[in-house]
Formats: sequence, C-alpha cells, structure tokens
Amino acid sequence: MKLRSPLLRAAAVLALLTACTPGTGGGGGGDGKSFEFWSFSAINQKLTVDAYQAKRPDIQIKLTEVGTSTETAQSLTTALAGGKVPDLVLIQGDNLPQFVQQPQNFVDLRTLGADDVKDDYLDWVWRQSVAKDGEVLGVPTDVGGMAVAYRTDLFAAAGLPTDRAAVSALWPTWDAFIETGRRYKQATGKAFTDNAATSVFYQAVNQVSEKYHSADRKLVYSTNPQVKAAFDLGIKAATAGITSGQSSFESAWSAGMAQGQYAAVSAPSWMLNTIRSTAPDTKGKWDIAKIPGGSGNWGGSYLAIPKRAKNPQAAWEYIKEMQSPQGQLEHFVRVGALPSTPLVYQDGKLADAKDPFFSDAPTGKIYTDSLLGLKPFYIGPDSAVIGQEFLNAITNVEQSGGNPATAWDDALRNIKTAIGE
Amino acid sequence: MTATLSPASTAAPPPPRTRKIAGVGERLSAYAYIAPFFVIFGVFGLFPFAFTFYVALFDWNPIGDQVFIGFDNFTRMFGDPRFWNAAGNTVSIWALSTVPQLLLALVLANVLNHARLRFALFFRMSVLVPYITSVAATAIVFVQLFDRDYGLFNWLLGLVGVEPIDFVQSTWGSHLLIATMVMWRWFGYTTLLYLASLQSVPRSVFEAAAIDGAGPWQRFRHITVPALRPVIIFTVVTSTIGGLQIFTEPLLIATGAPLTCGAVRQCQTLTLFLYEQGFGQFEFGYGSAVGVALFVMVVVIAALNYLLSTRIKADR
Repeated sequence: MKLRSPLLRAAAVLALLTACTPGTGGGGGGDGKSFEFWSFSAINQKLTVDAYQAKRPDIQIKLTEVGTSTETAQSLTTALAGGKVPDLVLIQGDNLPQFVQQPQNFVDLRTLGADDVKDDYLDWVWRQSVAKDGEVLGVPTDVGGMAVAYRTDLFAAAGLPTDRAAVSALWPTWDAFIETGRRYKQATGKAFTDNAATSVFYQAVNQVSEKYHSADRKLVYSTNPQVKAAFDLGIKAATAGITSGQSSFESAWSAGMAQGQYAAVSAPSWMLNTIRSTAPDTKGKWDIAKIPGGSGNWGGSYLAIPKRAKNPQAAWEYIKEMQSPQGQLEHFVRVGALPSTPLVYQDGKLADAKDPFFSDAPTGKIYTDSLLGLKPFYIGPDSAVIGQEFLNAITNVEQSGGNPATAWDDALRNIKTAIGE
Repeated sequence: MTATLSPASTAAPPPPRTRKIAGVGERLSAYAYIAPFFVIFGVFGLFPFAFTFYVALFDWNPIGDQVFIGFDNFTRMFGDPRFWNAAGNTVSIWALSTVPQLLLALVLANVLNHARLRFALFFRMSVLVPYITSVAATAIVFVQLFDRDYGLFNWLLGLVGVEPIDFVQSTWGSHLLIATMVMWRWFGYTTLLYLASLQSVPRSVFEAAAIDGAGPWQRFRHITVPALRPVIIFTVVTSTIGGLQIFTEPLLIATGAPLTCGAVRQCQTLTLFLYEQGFGQFEFGYGSAVGVALFVMVVVIAALNYLLSTRIKADR
C-alpha cells in the first residue's frame, strides 16, 4: 500500500510534530528573480552568498542557516514530507544517501544541464549523488581530505619534533600514531589526542577500499577485515590512555582544545575553520601533518534543488556560477574549504596557499595530496547508522568503562538491532 | 368551539417562532465562540493523535514509500532492547526525580505555611523561579556544573581528594543529573500546590494540637500529611505522566550523541527514543508505535489514579 499524496505526507509529519503547513504540489511558479537557500550554521555561507549578490545584483537570495548539518537534513526531510521547501539546500555527505534513495523529491539536475559540468568534478565525489536510474541530485561543493592538526608548542614540550615533515614521519601508520601518543603521554602525563572514536577509528575506516558495503552494494560491515582492523585501532587507542575522552564537537571538547588538553586532532580541511573559531588564542601554535596511512576523505557537501522549489532555475544559476572550478577556488580562498574540482588543484592560489593560523602550513597542497591515493567506496543509506554504532562502541570503552573485549560483538549486535540485518 | 378557538390560534404563534429562531442563533453562536479552541485542538491535537495510531501500522518513510505492515512495528518494539532500555531509564529517572521532589516540597510547604515566617510572600514567590526558567537554560547550566573537567561539583570533590566523576557518560550519573534538573524545575510548583492545600486547614487545628502537646513531627505526621492526601495523589499522578515524557533534559546533556543521550543510550528516555526513531532514522512508523506504547502507559497510570482517588473518597 502506497500513499503518495502530499496531504497524507503532511499528515505524517503532523502526527509526530504538531507544526507544519501542507505541501502545495508541483514546483516552479516563482518569479525567477529570487530564491531561498538553506545552509548549515557556522560555515560562513553568507560570505559566498554576498559574493554572488555582488555579481548578480538582480537576484534576491534569502539565506537561512538552519543549524548543524544533521539538523539541516532533518528540517529538509520534514519540509519534503509536506512543508514549504527551499529552492536550494546544502546536504552533508553523510546525510546524502538517505535522500539519494528517494530521488523523486529532487530536481534531476541533468534537466538543467548537469551533464555539461560533470567532468569538472572528482568522479567518485560526483557519483555519490547519482540515484539508481542515473538522476543527478546534487553538485559537490567541497571535499574534506584528511590530515592531523597538532600543537607545535606542546610537541616541543614533550620532546617530540615540531617540523611538519618530521612529525608526518613519526606516524606512517595508525599503530605508529598510537605509539607517538604513548611517548607524549609518558613525557607530559597529558592526553595526546581528543578521542579514539573520531580521531582514530573514523579516520581509519574512511581509508579503506571497501567500507560497510561490498562493491556490489551488499552489507559486509560484520565480515570486512578492513572495518575490523579500523575498529581494533580505535579500541587500541581508547585503552592506551592517550586520549582526553572528549567527544568531538561537544562543549568540553571545545574547552579542551582552547586549553591545550590534547596536542593532536584529526583535521579534514573544514576542521581548520572549527579550530580557528574554537581556539582563537592558539593562533600560530598549530601545524598540520599528514594523516597516518597517507590519504583519505572525511566530509564534503552537496547542493540540491527540491522538486517543489519555486525558483529552480535561479538556484541552478547560483550552483553553476559558485560551484564552477573558478567559483570553488574563490571559495577556498575565502573560507578554506577544499574544492571538489581537480582542475584548480594546480592553481597557484590553491597549491601555494599558506595558513598563518597553522604556522604557514601549505594547506592546499596537504589536502589535495591526501586525496591522491584515495580509493572510493560505496556509501549506502545505512552507512551513517552503522558508523554511529561503531563510534558509540569505542566511546563506551573510552569514556563509560565498557569492556574492550566485547566491544566489537556489542557493536555488531547494536547495528543489527538498528538496521535489522 | 372552532369559532372561539380560531382567533386565539391565529393571534398567538408569531412571538414564540421568532424567539425560537433567536434561540437557535444564540445557541449556535455559543459554539462559534468555543470553536477556535476546538478547531485548533482538532487540527493539532486530536487529528495527529489519532493519526499516530494509523502511522504505527506502516513502514513509513516520510519522503518515500509507506508500506502497510500491520502490527510488525509492535512486535519489533517488544523485542527491541533499545525500547526496554529506554523504558528502564525513564522509570529510573522518574523515581529519582519524583520521590525526593515530593518529599522536599512537602517539607518546604510546611515551612512556608508557618505562622511566624517573615517575608513569607517573598519565599513563596521565589520557589517558583526555577519553574519559569526555560528548560534549555537550566540544562546548559547544570551540564556545566556537572562537567567532568571544568564542573563546579567535580572541583569541590577534587578539594576533598575524590577523582572527577563523568556524570554524563555513566548510567547512574546521567540519571542523577537529569533527575536533579527535573527536581529543580518542578519542586517549587509542587510546593505551591501543597501550600495552597495546607492553607485551607484551619490554623486552630494546629494550635489545638500544639496545646495538647503534639510536637512538630507529630503535627506534620497527623495533620499536614492527611490534609494533603488528595493533592499528594494528584501530584504523584501528574509528575508520573510528566516523568514518562522527559525529553529536553536528556536531549541536551550529551552533546556528543544527543539523540541517544550518550554512546550506550545510558540516559535515553522513551520520548527521546521515539524522537530518535522518527526524526533521526526517519522511521515514522516505528516512532509512532513507541508513541502508542507511551500512550497506553499513561492511560494505565491515569486509571490507577482514578481507582486510588475513588478509594480515598470512600475512606473519608
């Protein structure tokens, strides 16, 4: 039995959340001179909107910073189910598969000319927004890359090298990273990194060739030795006593960063902005080294246009202008988000970019290098839940006294409960 | 006969008829006056409520397919350890918050009712301040007070040599933290309810008891508590229904994993589990099934209340 009427979908939302306006059916019908844009908060989207406004003064943009990436995805779901949808919405990579499963909710960007610009983007990034019948639902705005940000002053105090090449050489592998942590802990008595779940497991599990699904999209999270290896590294870090046990992005984590409670944190390109705004007083005390294992990606977002958008054309023009290789390069210069368009990776503005907050580290080069050896894998609709349960199992061992010996089995059982297979 | 009756019958009718019409209009206008409430209640209260039962029978993706699956959501729920964990947490937090709260309110009401208390009005108003403070603000302050690394409580414990306690990450600690917040928010309200009820007890009864040699404890035990029995039952029931619906506090304390209230769902309540399933996983059908279960629990408790209060009436 299928219920596709917008009214019934609206009612579904009402059933759980008693505030919503019913949907109005098909898209289009706007004035073409304005559009509504939902983005995340705290990523400085307004800078980019202003830049577009300067180029196109005839267009009115109504920017709403909904909240975190997760909150934005939740609001979008509610809106798609029967509310007023934006014309343009930013979707974080982890939330994307859930929407790609339901392509009928979005404009197929091929109808607006996506095929013409397809070749500008990293192929494996582009493919994540392609639905089962080839519909293109989103244009990638940035990728994360991977690296480790570390405090040179704290490393020096612990007798570790501070030069970024020498630090990168300290940890060719994650085992070596944990070993470095032990050395740091012995020398200072303080935590080396923030937490095992995000800074170790989540990085390592994104460096695999197959993650929770096999190449033919079957679930293999429980049998894939690469996942198990990444999980074991997380548990090893959690039990080594080298973490400060503060989960990423919670308030104690921010305070710990500002106070130098930990000396190293895994940092994709977008994390640099977080560090800058969380610990502004530590300017110049950071540097950036290679991620153990050399390459990988964490994060990146997409711009999509909901089917019922009033001004899909105006939204598409914004995408075409601001997400072109040149547009993304300018975005990199403005806020440091790594472009998803490899054409500009050799451009001097990116390749020679240095960040004074991070001791003039060549951020453009470090992050584009981290994408070079990357092996793309399939991300399915259950990937976010599976990843969260693994993270929880490691956090449980690290912070709540969970038993490391049963952590893997506990995680598998919780995943099975959550996704049913 | 017809001659005498006919004039009367033609003269009489008009007034009652117009009065009748006016009566209908008046009666209808009364409904018009109360309509705004019932229309809004119907749209935002009754309809979603009834619709929850309907949605609970589906595998309901808000932006995709809705497939009828009968009672599968309920079968799944009864076998779901996360549901029972949430139910256990809810009961634990409810007990930890309600029992001390009602006892504290009882004592406070007794103190505030004291004849010789100065500035009574000031104290009576003050206890209501936590109640009018927003839950979110309360949660932010309490989380900071109980923080493992920077919290005031752990600093105080550190002074006497106790290792810092990670309240949020431990099961009993997170329950205690939430219970404290709930207690903080509601004790003033309960105190005022008790106080209002106490003030209807004639002061002469207390004075007579004092003259007869009853101490403060005896007066409390034999006058205050029996006088408050109906309102105590009322507060137990309302706080139980409120306790089953604790949501904001657990959502806000574990910022690292808000929807599960921590890595191992150590403080996830039923409403938070409902929210996680509905709006975190977008399983509206399963979330609705949890909502139905919650409704049944509340009905059972309300029924118990009815039985208890009728028995108390019979006793008197």
